[in-house]
Amino acid sequence: MSAVWSAAWAAVRRRLLQTIVIGVVVCASTATIVMALGLLESAAAPFDRAFATQRGAHLAAAFDPAKTSDDQLRKAAGQTESAGPFAQSTLDTSTGEIFKGTLTVAGRADPGGPVDRLTIWEGRWATAPGEIVLNRAPGGNGRTNLGFQLTVPGRPTLTVVGFAHSVTGSADAWVTPEQVEALQPTVLQMLYRFPNAGTAAEVAEGQKSVTAGLPEGALLGTLSHLTVKDKATSELGVFIPFLLIFGVLGLVVAVLIVANVVSGAVVAGFRHIGMLKALGFTPGQVMAVYLVMVSIPAVAGCVLGTLAGNVFAKPIVQDAVEGFGVTELSFAPWVNAVALLGMPALVISAALVPAIRARRLPAAQAISAGTTAHSGRALRVQRWLSGTPLPRSVSLGLGLPFARLGRSALTLAAVVLGVMTVTLATGVTMSITAYNDAVRPSYADRVEVLAGGPPGLPVMRNPEMGEPPAAALSDADDEKMLRAVPGTAAVMAVSQLETEVAGGTQNATVLFYRGDVSALGPRVLTGHWPDGPGQVAVPSRFLNQRGLSVGDTITVQAKENRTQLKIVGVVLTNNEDQIFADWTALNVLAPGTRAHAYQVKFTPGTDRASFTAAIGKGDPGLRVLPPRDGSSSTAVIIISASVVLTLVLGAVAALGVFNTVVLNARERRRDLGMLKSIGMTPRQVTVLLSTSMGALGLVGGLVGMPVGVAVHQLLVPAMAHAGQADAVDILMDVYHAPALALLALAGVVIAVLGALVPARGAAHLSIATVLHNE
Amino acid sequence: MNNDVVVAITDLRKEYADSVALNGVSLTVRAGEAVAVMGPSGSGKSTLLNMIAGLDRPTSGSVVVHGTDLGSLDETGLALFRRRGIGMIFQFFNLLDDLSALDNVALAAQLTGTPASQARKRALELFGELGISNRRNIYPARLSGGERQRVAVARALMNRPALLLADEPTGALDSRSGEQVMDLLLDLNQIGQTLLLVTHDERLATRCASRVVEVVDGRIAREQSLERTS
Ligand SMILES: Nc1ncnc2c1ncn2[C@@H]1O[C@H](COP(=O)(O)OP(=O)(O)OP(=O)(O)O)[C@@H](O)[C@H]1O
Ligand SMILES: [Mg+2]
Repeated sequence: MSAVWSAAWAAVRRRLLQTIVIGVVVCASTATIVMALGLLESAAAPFDRAFATQRGAHLAAAFDPAKTSDDQLRKAAGQTESAGPFAQSTLDTSTGEIFKGTLTVAGRADPGGPVDRLTIWEGRWATAPGEIVLNRAPGGNGRTNLGFQLTVPGRPTLTVVGFAHSVTGSADAWVTPEQVEALQPTVLQMLYRFPNAGTAAEVAEGQKSVTAGLPEGALLGTLSHLTVKDKATSELGVFIPFLLIFGVLGLVVAVLIVANVVSGAVVAGFRHIGMLKALGFTPGQVMAVYLVMVSIPAVAGCVLGTLAGNVFAKPIVQDAVEGFGVTELSFAPWVNAVALLGMPALVISAALVPAIRARRLPAAQAISAGTTAHSGRALRVQRWLSGTPLPRSVSLGLGLPFARLGRSALTLAAVVLGVMTVTLATGVTMSITAYNDAVRPSYADRVEVLAGGPPGLPVMRNPEMGEPPAAALSDADDEKMLRAVPGTAAVMAVSQLETEVAGGTQNATVLFYRGDVSALGPRVLTGHWPDGPGQVAVPSRFLNQRGLSVGDTITVQAKENRTQLKIVGVVLTNNEDQIFADWTALNVLAPGTRAHAYQVKFTPGTDRASFTAAIGKGDPGLRVLPPRDGSSSTAVIIISASVVLTLVLGAVAALGVFNTVVLNARERRRDLGMLKSIGMTPRQVTVLLSTSMGALGLVGGLVGMPVGVAVHQLLVPAMAHAGQADAVDILMDVYHAPALALLALAGVVIAVLGALVPARGAAHLSIATVLHNE
Repeated sequence: MNNDVVVAITDLRKEYADSVALNGVSLTVRAGEAVAVMGPSGSGKSTLLNMIAGLDRPTSGSVVVHGTDLGSLDETGLALFRRRGIGMIFQFFNLLDDLSALDNVALAAQLTGTPASQARKRALELFGELGISNRRNIYPARLSGGERQRVAVARALMNRPALLLADEPTGALDSRSGEQVMDLLLDLNQIGQTLLLVTHDERLATRCASRVVEVVDGRIAREQSLERTS
C-alpha cells in the first residue's frame, strides 16, 4: 500500500499542471452542480419552501363580527394551530395618482405567531396609529415606498413604515389592532394550520372542524392555501421551465467535463503505467495508483467546489426564487450530499474505465501506447490534409482531433452544450427584453403628465410631491399647449373609468385614449384599435378568463350609464383587467369627462428637463411624472441569472477545452519538440494547437447554435404559458441572421479562449528539455 | 572544397540547475568538413549540438553559424534559422506517427511555405536518392529502424541546409543498418554537405569523419584530424 501511495503521490507532484487542472475542473463543476441542483430544487418548490418557512395558513377565513365573537372563534379553533382573530377592514383606494386597488387591511400586533409568520424585509412593523405595513414580495418594487401616505376620504391618513410578505396573502396591508378599529373593520380574520391539508378535501375537513358550533352565517368566506399556491405558481411560474433547463444543462456539462478530464489523465499516463508494471507493480496496484492520483485533486476540488457553490450560487438562486417570498435560502442537505458524494463517485467511475484497461495492458504495449492511438480514419484525414494548400501548422492542427476521437468527442460535447447555453440564454434574454419593451413601452422618449385625479377617487399621496395636480387649462387647451411645446412628437390624452362588466365578477378599468394612439398606445395583436363609440380592445387574458373572443359584445356599466361594446381587437398589455376604448366611447359613458393624464412623446435630442419645464410653464397645474423604469423585476432577475449561468457554463466548457489542449500537448510534446527543431516557430505551434480546438469549436458552434434555438423555441412557449403571456410571436421571433452567425462563432471563442494559454505554454517549452526527457 | 567557417563557437558554457553540461568549449567547423563529436555519456555532446541548432541558449559564450550570432535571435528568429540553415537527425528518428513517410519529409518544406505538391515532388526525389522510394506511403510504425532513419535524413535534407547535425544517428540501429546510414552521411559529405555528428562508435567515426573532437566533462579534451579510411 505504501508503494502505491508513494507512486501516486509522486505522480501527483510530477504532473502538477494536470493535478491542478483536475482540481479546478472538479471544483468548478461541483460548484455548477450545487447551483444546478439548488436551482432544480428551489424551482421545483419555491412556494412550498416559503410556505413552510412562514408556517403559512392552510386556510384563511373571514367571519362576520356581528354574528360571532373573538372568544367563540378561539374556542371553535380548539387545538388546531391558529392565529387571530384579526379585525380586518377594506379600504377602497382606487387608481389615482399612484396605483393601488382595494386594500384589505388587518389589525395585527405582531408579525410572528404560530401561523403566517410575516417576513419584514424593509422598514419595520406598524406599532403606532397612523402607520401601515404593505404586503409585497421581497425585492419587488412599486410606486410606493417607505414614507408614502395613503389618504382615503373619511379615514385617517396612513404612512407606510414597512414592507412585509405573507406567502398566504392573508392581507394586503397591516396596521395595529387599535388603528384598524378606526378604519371601521367589517370582518374578523382567522388563520389556521391543519395537520393534513394536501388536498381540497382535507382542507374542507379542517374547515369543518374549526367552524363547528359557530352561529349560522358567521363564516363569510375562506381562502385555501391551494388556491393561493395556484396563483403564485402561475405568476412566477415563468421562471420554472427556465431554471429547470439551466439546472439540467449545468449538470450535464459538469459531468461531461469531469469525465473527460479524469479519463484523459489516466490515458495520458499509459506510458507511466507500463513503467510501473516493469518495476513490478501488480495490475491491481497500478490501478490503485491511478485512482489515488486522480482522487487527491478531485476530493480537494469537490470540497472547495461545494463550498464555493454554497457561497456563490446561493445569491443567484436566491434572486430567482425571491419573488416567491423565500428570503433565507439554504440548500437542502441532499444537494450538498449529492455534490460531496456524487462527484468523487463520478471521478472514480470516469477513472475506472481507462484504469481497468491499464490494468490489463501488457507492460510493453503500455509503454508504446503512450503517444497516440492510430485509427485508419485519423491517418486518412491527415494524408488528405497534407495535400491541401492550407498552411502546414493549420492542417496539422485540423488533423489532431482525429487522433483521439473519444477525447475530442467529449470536448466537442462540452462545447456544444456551452454554445447551446449561450444561444438559449441570449434568446431568453432577447425574448424577455422584447416582451418587456412591448408591454411596458420605454419611457426614455416620453413624459407622463398628470392633469388631476379622476373625480371622487381617493389618492395615495407622496408627501415629497406636494399638492396633487389640478390642471389650470381646459382639456382641449392643455392638449393644444402640449402639442405646441417645442420638441413634441406625439400627444395622447388618457382618461379612465372603473366599470362593472356584466356577467363577470371582476371589474375592469376602461382606458380611453385620444390623439396619437398609434404612436403611444399599446400594440394591437389581432383585429384593430377601436375607432368608434361602440368598440373596445382587450388583452387576451381578459378574453381567456371570460371565455370571450374577438367579435363578441360586452356590456359595461359605469355609474348610471350602461353601454354595449364590441370587442374589435386584442392588445398587448400586462394587466388583464384593463380594456381600451376610443374617446368617443367616453362621451357616451361619462360625458364631459376631461383627460386626467397625457402621454407626450418628444423628438430625439430633446432635453427632458427643459421639455418638462416648458410643459410646467404652459400649465402650472399639470404635474410631469419622473421617468419610469421600464424594466420589470422578473425580467431583471431572469436576465441576470441568464448572464451568470452563461458565463459559468461557458467558462466550464472552456476549462474542458483547456484540459484537452494540456493533455494533447503533453502527449504530443515530443512531436512538438521535433517540429520546432525543424523550424516551426512558437507562433506556428500556438496556431497548430489552437486550430485543433478552433475546429472543434466551429463544429460545436454549428451544432450547438441550432440546438439552442430549438430548445428556445420549446422553452419559450412553456414560459409564456406558465406566465400567461400574450404575443408568443414577440417572444419566439428573436434570433436574426447576424446574431445567429455570432452565436455559431461562440464555440470558436470558447475553444480558442480555452486553448490559447496551454497552447502558448506548449509553444514556449524548451525543445532541449523535451527531447532530453523523452 | 572551400574554407568558409560554418560554425564558430567561442568559450561556450551551459549550466543546468544541478550540473554544468558545457564548461568553456571553443570549436570551429568549416564548410565541407565532417566532424565527429565523441565522449563518455553525460559529457555534454548533445548539449553542444543543441546549442549549435539553437534549441537551447548558452549560459555564456557565443555560437555563430553562417555568420549569424544565435544569441541575437529571438525564438521565432531561431526557428526560421533552423528551417533554412540546419538539418537535424536524432537517435530516435522523431517522425510524426500519423503522417506517411513521404508526408513526414514533405512537412519540412511545407513549413517554409512550399506548396504541398512541390514539397512532395522534392521529397520523392530525395526518396529516390536515398533508395527508399518504395517506402514512401508507409507509416513510421511499419518501417524498420534503418528505414526510419533514412526518412529522417531525407527530412533533414529537404531544405538543403548548410549544416547537417546528427545526434547518435546510429545509436538505435543494429550494426548493419547503422553502417548503411553512416555510408549515406559519408556520401552526402563527399558531395559537399557540412556534417557534425555525435557518436559513440569509434569505428564509424573514424570511417566517415575528417576530424574527431572528444568532449569530457564539458570540455574539449582532444581534437584529431583524420585521413579517412574509406
Ligand atoms: N535539459 C536538461 N536539464 C537538466 N540537465 C540537463 C539537460 N540536458 C542535459 N543535462 C545534463 O547535462 C549534462 C550533459 O548532458 P548531455 O545530454 O549533453 O550528455 P551527452 O554527452 O549527450 O550524453 P549521452 O552520451 O548519454 O547522450 C548531463 O549531466 C545532463 O544530465
Ligand atoms: Mg546525448
